[in-house]
Amino acid sequence: MSGAVATALAGRPELAERYAAFRDAARGALDPALFVLVQQTIAAVHGSGDAPDESGLDAATRTCLAYARRMPFEHTAITDAEAAAVIAALGEPGYVAFSVVAALADAECRAGMVDLPGLVVG
Amino acid sequence: MSTTPRVSSAITGEPPHFGSVLAHQPEIAERFFALYGAFWGSDVLSARIKEVARMRNARVTECGFCRQVRFDKAVAEGLGEEVVDDITDGYESSIRLTDVEKAVLKFTDALIHDPELLTNDARAALQRHLAPEQIAELGLGVTLFLALAKALITMGLEPEAMDRTVLPTPAPLDQAA
Repeated sequence: MSGAVATALAGRPELAERYAAFRDAARGALDPALFVLVQQTIAAVHGSGDAPDESGLDAATRTCLAYARRMPFEHTAITDAEAAAVIAALGEPGYVAFSVVAALADAECRAGMVDLPGLVVG
Repeated sequence: MSTTPRVSSAITGEPPHFGSVLAHQPEIAERFFALYGAFWGSDVLSARIKEVARMRNARVTECGFCRQVRFDKAVAEGLGEEVVDDITDGYESSIRLTDVEKAVLKFTDALIHDPELLTNDARAALQRHLAPEQIAELGLGVTLFLALAKALITMGLEPEAMDRTVLPTPAPLDQAA
């Protein structure tokens, strides 16, 4: 598993293992293509990499990505209608997994932006 | 920000709350609580310092639920309300927060809000006060606090009103009651 948090936990194998298990469970609960698109979309909001090309994506996926774009800086402004649209696309269990994945993607990006691994190694 | 749950409870007879909503995804729930219990069960970094970071995250992300919950282990380690009251903007001048806690708060602000807050001086202060394994644990904690708060808020699980509530500190699953 890659990422700033996983790298920083290299010296804490008991936590690293549980973190990887949690992250893998979240990843496995979402369509693999959507998982990657959410990661790319949120990273792009943080200025890390390009946003995915949405031109060939279906409306449901674009709805999910529009929601994901709000997670880094506008999470309190997401409306009931936006949430309902994602639930319509993914179902309730899918929306729960999507929420966890998007929130974790944002937090992991931020951990990378403060160079968490570099702080740990000195 | 909605205080109306956007997702139903997956546990019959229970209202929507973080645990009952996360139960729509049992594997995620099981692994999250295993991780969260192991994190809080570790004494590499004190519960008081973890709670200081969690309280700061609650305020910055506007998570009312997180803000009203206290974990008993941190309370037992001396984190009283007079200290919590200082975990607000201007915490740098607090006489109740220790230098270690101020360094932790600066790191927390940088991770959850603005990475530029972690200046070279702030990095040096954090590394002077905490060992590498403690910084790793802190980084994991702030990552989880932030993700948990945003997931909770966006799923509409914020309470309309909630009294301050002291809860048992999450424990490793093999030690949970």
